[in-house]
Amino acid sequence: MKVLVTVKEVAAVEDDFEIDGLSIDDRYLEYDLNEWDDYAVEAAVQIAEAADEDVEVVAATIGPERSEETIRMALAKGADRAVRVWDDAIADQTLLDVNAKASVFEQVVAEEEPDLVLTGVQAADDALGATGVALANRVGYQWAAVVNDLDYAAGDDVATVRRELEGGVEEITEVDLPAVLSIQTGINEPRYASLRGIRQAQQKEIAPHDLSDLGLDAETVDGALELTDMYEPESESDATIFEGGAEETATELANVLRDKGVVGE
Amino acid sequence: MDYGLTQEQEQLREEVRRFAENEIAPVADEYDREEKYPAEIVEKAAEMGLTGAHFPMEYGGVGYSTLDMALVTEELFAVDPGIGLCVTSAGFGAEAIMEFGTEEQKEEYLPPIAEGEAVMGAAISEPHAGSDVSSLSTRAEKDGDEWVVNGSKMWITNGSIGDYFVVMCETDPDVGDRYTGFSQLLIERDRDGFESEKITGKLGIRASDTAELRFDDVRVPEENLVGQRGMGFPQLMQFFDETRTMVAAQAVGIAKGANERALEYAEEREQFGRPISEFQAIRHKLSEMHTRTEAARQLTYKSAWSVDNAEDDLTMLASMAKEFASDVATDAADEAVQIHGGAGFVDDFDVERLYRDAKITQIYEGTTEIQKNIVARELLDEGY
Repeated sequence: MKVLVTVKEVAAVEDDFEIDGLSIDDRYLEYDLNEWDDYAVEAAVQIAEAADEDVEVVAATIGPERSEETIRMALAKGADRAVRVWDDAIADQTLLDVNAKASVFEQVVAEEEPDLVLTGVQAADDALGATGVALANRVGYQWAAVVNDLDYAAGDDVATVRRELEGGVEEITEVDLPAVLSIQTGINEPRYASLRGIRQAQQKEIAPHDLSDLGLDAETVDGALELTDMYEPESESDATIFEGGAEETATELANVLRDKGVVGE
Repeated sequence: MDYGLTQEQEQLREEVRRFAENEIAPVADEYDREEKYPAEIVEKAAEMGLTGAHFPMEYGGVGYSTLDMALVTEELFAVDPGIGLCVTSAGFGAEAIMEFGTEEQKEEYLPPIAEGEAVMGAAISEPHAGSDVSSLSTRAEKDGDEWVVNGSKMWITNGSIGDYFVVMCETDPDVGDRYTGFSQLLIERDRDGFESEKITGKLGIRASDTAELRFDDVRVPEENLVGQRGMGFPQLMQFFDETRTMVAAQAVGIAKGANERALEYAEEREQFGRPISEFQAIRHKLSEMHTRTEAARQLTYKSAWSVDNAEDDLTMLASMAKEFASDVATDAADEAVQIHGGAGFVDDFDVERLYRDAKITQIYEGTTEIQKNIVARELLDEGY
């Protein structure tokens, strides 16, 4: 069987940074594999390791050449090969919207024909949180979002998943394959890339594709969303210090929690 | 001449640092204070492949070069030298097995180190033989097809927790030359007559296990001889260049750790209404610390590269790197404490720990004074 994992290189800003128009200069940024995708890769590799049959784990990303260094960490952790899609038309977008990403991954799925697609719930940078579900809709796969527990053995036709719903409620449900699952952090404990894995990853394939390779044209990635402004939101915090014995301060704390709506009446 | 690291080396460095930040940093203080060996962390490090990375693939390693190992060492020591040493020392003595051991020895003793199932050590120093290694008195006598070992060893890393040791013993006391007549023997902890006593109260690297070993009529089979009888010293000396380069890498790591902490604190700490990083006295300190560390790093990398590629000036380079980098480490840790002021004098910040840890790099694997003698000896072409 084949598992496709969508992965993304995301940028995080340092403590002090400056915004220049619609972007932040590279010197303030650190690039890393999206945290949610790290869990998705681990879930895929665990399925492959536990399997009696051959399971191929393919990582797919939309990203510039620079992102190969990050994507290679997914290969070092056990993915077998990667597909990287990039194009001038993608670079020209101020913000790649969910539809555009789903269009690109739709073609990757058509080419790879995976039995299972794992995505992170969201990306740490734009946090749209919709790519996985949108992709499932495009390719007609079954889907489950925000999966925090997965019971699936390679070759099975059904995956049993636990998903997070609103308000702290969880549900356990079964999903027929082929399926797209968006993976929540905490579902497993992502491994460190082993030194042997890092060495082997240097020889693994990261196949570059542009839009025309996937049979898409530049307009495919023109989205309805445009980035118009970037600013740092003002943050406020205030601290209340309760003084006195445990009994009175506990009551005061309970009042505050009730007022703020943290606990019910 | 190529000055850049490969993408693989960059990834190696980042992942080792990530491991150290997540698994070591949060508990470093605790292990230091309690002088406790971090067995669980060493096991996790082994899972990642850190304990035998320089072993060949067929013995569970990755075949990493000396430069790769220097990078790993630097990152671990930048976070915590004590636990860093526990990880990098798990295979102390394995070089002798790799280079001179029999196929059986390699198959039996190397994979358990790489897999995290065993820890080993090299036993050379004795209570009365430190820098003067030729005055060793641990004896091994042949009795039938066994060696009978008597004597004691001092300052042995992994001494009270290690599973087996490569022990330098005098086997042929009657030969005239003061450097022949010694042999390396593999001695397992579970042999009758083997005792160890943990040494506590160390100034630094307190998570690392150090012990005195005592051998009282310890019998090992003759196949435990590593390499040739009587050639223990020439065999050992071959690795001094490598082990000294690794101490230089440890020192570069400590300096790096001190510099990072000093820089961060200087940017945060405010006095007279501004961060102390705006005062020239502090700026010059930071500048000098980073400059000297970079110089030590380049000397160390060149020495590491030379181990694998160019042996001509290696002995001199390794001693230069070890001597210089260990000075830079102790100075950088000193300045890092100074920049922290009172806060650096207590264990709220871990520059205090680095300050204590740095000192050992001027002492073990040949003191600073011995390194200077070696550099001079090489310059003057005097031989051993």
